[in-house]
Amino acid sequence: MANNYLTTESKKLATWYFTFAAIIFGAQLLFGLVAATQYVMPGFLFEIVDFSVARMIHINALIVWMVFAMMGSVYWLLPDETGIETVGIGLGKLLYWVFVAAIVVVVLVYLLVQVGPADQTTIWFINEGREYLEAPRWADIGIVVVVLGFIYNLYATGMKGNRSGIITVLMADMLAFAGIYLAGMGYTDNISVDQYWWWWVIHLWVEATWEVFVGSIAAYGLITMIGAHRKVVEMWLWIEVAMLFGSGILGIGHHYFWIGTPEYWWEIGALFSALEPLPLVAMFIHVLYDWGKQQGAQEAQGKEVSVITNKPAFTWFVLQAFGNFLGAGVWGFFHTFPQVNLYTHGTQFTSAHGHLAFFGAYATILIGMFYLAVQGKNGIKVMHATKKSIWATSMIFGGVLGMTVALTLAGYVQVLVSRAQMGATWAGYFDGQAGIWFAQGMDWRLVMGVVTFIGFIILIQDLLSIGKAAHHER
Amino acid sequence: MVQEALILQDIHIDDFLTIFVSASLVLVFGGFYVGIYAAVKVGLLKKWTMPLGYGFWILTGYCLYLMGSLMHVNDFTAKALVVAAIGLLLLPHAVYYMQDRVHEENEH
Repeated sequence: MANNYLTTESKKLATWYFTFAAIIFGAQLLFGLVAATQYVMPGFLFEIVDFSVARMIHINALIVWMVFAMMGSVYWLLPDETGIETVGIGLGKLLYWVFVAAIVVVVLVYLLVQVGPADQTTIWFINEGREYLEAPRWADIGIVVVVLGFIYNLYATGMKGNRSGIITVLMADMLAFAGIYLAGMGYTDNISVDQYWWWWVIHLWVEATWEVFVGSIAAYGLITMIGAHRKVVEMWLWIEVAMLFGSGILGIGHHYFWIGTPEYWWEIGALFSALEPLPLVAMFIHVLYDWGKQQGAQEAQGKEVSVITNKPAFTWFVLQAFGNFLGAGVWGFFHTFPQVNLYTHGTQFTSAHGHLAFFGAYATILIGMFYLAVQGKNGIKVMHATKKSIWATSMIFGGVLGMTVALTLAGYVQVLVSRAQMGATWAGYFDGQAGIWFAQGMDWRLVMGVVTFIGFIILIQDLLSIGKAAHHER
Repeated sequence: MVQEALILQDIHIDDFLTIFVSASLVLVFGGFYVGIYAAVKVGLLKKWTMPLGYGFWILTGYCLYLMGSLMHVNDFTAKALVVAAIGLLLLPHAVYYMQDRVHEENEH
């Protein structure tokens, strides 16, 4: 695709980030399929890509592609929001290649070396061993350097150009996003202490800083796609920030129930977890309110045309509001209290929640940003959906929802058999997994995973071809 | 000094399904309440549907009560659930009020 319509280097850099994010997104789904197949056929790729390796790459790729797409989103909106070219764009481009090279090396080591001796060389060069954040220490330090450069770009541009509410929120949020990562880099041989800090990264990223980030992106999307009033959107963004941080930060307590932390975390976790769905419900109203208000104003002027200037992207943004509510809200809420979490912890319920929450809250809106970039790159005024975009959206959303339902059924069996009936014993663990409902749940998860992957292939085809379609307004 | 240990009461095996379904319905009904409220305010739904919205909030409260009772939540968590239910009732009113004021200040 030509870059003819991109007038700033920042937006060009954003497309690089989106492209690499899409590649890693594919790798995430592929290794997810490998891991899902291994639940059904345990001998599949045995001693070549074992379940532990496939799962690790599946989860790490998830984090990495989202971080790439988030950084790309910031580079995309910076010139629009600040009115100037990103300051230090040369540094941004250099750090992009450093980041890509680091990720490629890390993945090759994961695949070709896999494990090492239980000493410092493994921590430094192969695998740090912390779930989600397995990157070896040299890569950890590299990531910190890359993100510091990214933050310099963001701050320098925000301070030199017009600092809108969206930029201000992003500046504060990205600093927290980077700072919290440091909490997961220390070393201690006490597993409770290690988990305590590790959760700072995982929980405070996904339930605080990432949520605030998507709030900012949603605000930008509502302004650019439906012409929502900036003051209304930005006022709303500040409310979201207050609600998300207010409930999300101490919501971390629901991860501290069973790792050896004091029992007062039960009360803190229960209280703030009960409040955590409120901002998600509120974000849902936000989109509905602005859309209804803008469309109503348009129709009051006698214009029947839609206010939406990018249909595929807006569809993904609406799915974000819905998916976030469903995945993070509904699937999170029903096992967030310690009384019931005692039974659900570590079962496929967690996996069901993880799949729908990450997809609903983050993947959706980042795919929406891919479509916004395609629109900008091809100089399209009003971008309409194609058959491929409709198929891709339906198959990906349907596939992830199907996986979630299948995992929920499997998790329910584990709760009843492994936990409630057999008291979380060794025999209970295996009896739970031997049940027909669990086995069929795993079968259906694989089927729905394949549906998701086919949807992803169609999505990529659409992203590469939709810009050339003739039915857009240019 | 002897520290008081917190003990969780076992959940009856037949209650799990009701707990999971009622916990899910808390947010589904809550979402309906908020959705109907917002839709009526922006003119997407007729005004007479508003009581239906409040009906969904009552169902939300009932599901919270059911879920909490079957889980045997302690006094503190029971109070937290009541706060969450009241928060949900007030949330769309507060948000709509603020949104509308900002709209009026900027458009009229």
